[in-house]
Amino acid sequence: MTEIIVVTSGKGGVGKTTTSASLACGLARTGKKVAVIDFDIGLRNLDLIMGCERRVVYDFVNVINGDCSLKQALIKDKRIETLYLLAASQTRDKDALTAEGVRKVLDELIADGFDYILCDSPAGIEKGAHLAMYYADRAVVVVNPEVSSVRDSDRILGLLASKTERAEKGADKVREHLLLTRYSPTRVAAGEMLSIADVKEILGLDVIGVIPESQDVLSASNAGTPVILNEGSDVSEAYGDAVARLLGEERPLRFIDAQKKGFFARVFGG
Amino acid sequence: MDLRFGQVGLLQVRLRQTDPVAILAELSGRIASAPQFFQHTGVCIDLSVLEAIPDELALRAVIDAVRRAGLITVGLSDHAAGLDALAADLGLPVLGGFRQLSRPPERVKAAAKAAAEAAAEAEAAAVLPEAEQPAAPPLVAAQIHTHPVRSGQRVYARDRDLVLTATVGAGAEVMADGCVHVYGTLRGRAMAGVRGDATARLFCQEFRAELVAIAGVFRVFETLPAELAGQPVQAWLDGEDLKFARLGG
Repeated sequence: MTEIIVVTSGKGGVGKTTTSASLACGLARTGKKVAVIDFDIGLRNLDLIMGCERRVVYDFVNVINGDCSLKQALIKDKRIETLYLLAASQTRDKDALTAEGVRKVLDELIADGFDYILCDSPAGIEKGAHLAMYYADRAVVVVNPEVSSVRDSDRILGLLASKTERAEKGADKVREHLLLTRYSPTRVAAGEMLSIADVKEILGLDVIGVIPESQDVLSASNAGTPVILNEGSDVSEAYGDAVARLLGEERPLRFIDAQKKGFFARVFGG
Repeated sequence: MDLRFGQVGLLQVRLRQTDPVAILAELSGRIASAPQFFQHTGVCIDLSVLEAIPDELALRAVIDAVRRAGLITVGLSDHAAGLDALAADLGLPVLGGFRQLSRPPERVKAAAKAAAEAAAEAEAAAVLPEAEQPAAPPLVAAQIHTHPVRSGQRVYARDRDLVLTATVGAGAEVMADGCVHVYGTLRGRAMAGVRGDATARLFCQEFRAELVAIAGVFRVFETLPAELAGQPVQAWLDGEDLKFARLGG
């Protein structure tokens, strides 16, 4: 049984692509067969984050247009056996996507025996974002603890409840999960950032993970390594927890409390 | 030939800005909730809340936007002063004698023609006597909405009350011809008595609204009054005034 999961947010720059790459790696690490699709046609990024930008020959639009087979376009990850990437086209725009085309590719992946298909949505609520969520069974809504991101996520949650195939056919609703990224416990404690409770209360949803703000994300992106593979870092652990919760495991939230300054730090103002 | 004064139901459009694109978008949005009701309805444009009276060219663009929304401009409201020259240039009358944006819902719900006939028989009386009010309509159950209303979504309960058991997000709109009840946090906009029922009220469990309107009289909350923020609140119309009070003492 294949599950289609859309990673979306409405707002740009909140960490959708970072999250897609890390969730895909995390799921694939458990032995599941995972495909991750970049829906951001024209602004291809996922290949960079996954570190396979030099291996992109054919892309998502090529498959939809029948220029190549799906097998030719799927890029097999070098680190994890069961992980595949379908890159976006950099030279086209989002109008190159069609609902039928997307359905065809998803059906082919399902027939191929993939356990999870992750759809990395572009920002916005236009065609690319619409098609990324349209066939989803579950949705991971990535949100930063600030008001504009929260409002955009609220909008996206509204669209998930009305503009998806499940909503239109009256099937079970898309299962929605909230993933908080760039969370800084110290700034929350200082009242400069919305808290987890604030975001949960405004959006009326539980969180599936809280990813702390960290320098590691930027350096991992630049190195082309999904940050979840950056063993030992808080971000890696937090994404690991989120993957486990996505698979149904219950785990307490970590990295959500401000670090108490140690004695020396307090004395010397470190 | 008979010459008589008669009353007709007329939609008043009180402009808050004159950008024709925005007006068309907003009108189309409103009309989408009840297309049959608004089809080819006569419209009286009220310029009274605009900072400055627009010039003829700007107003022609507005009238064009109104026409493209499927409505017909039949006059300008005398709520704004000094419109005679402008109205003459546009070939429109300046209409007066409006009691306000609200009127009893029974008459609004009747077709415009029936309302005109009834009113004509009443010989231009300002208000129909109680005895001529139609019998109370059969009970219509409230529309109940159990999911959160998200930013950008709108829920409209036609001819009835609207009961929402979850939150209304910022940027969402909930509307009803009757009362609106929100048993959650109200962060978006709520409009009760959308088609003119001045007795409609708004009730909410936790008040953080952006805008509240009853029968067209609205108030925006740029900053929430401290005594209302986060409280259970009801709003009602007292004449032209929108009143707010904490619920439950």
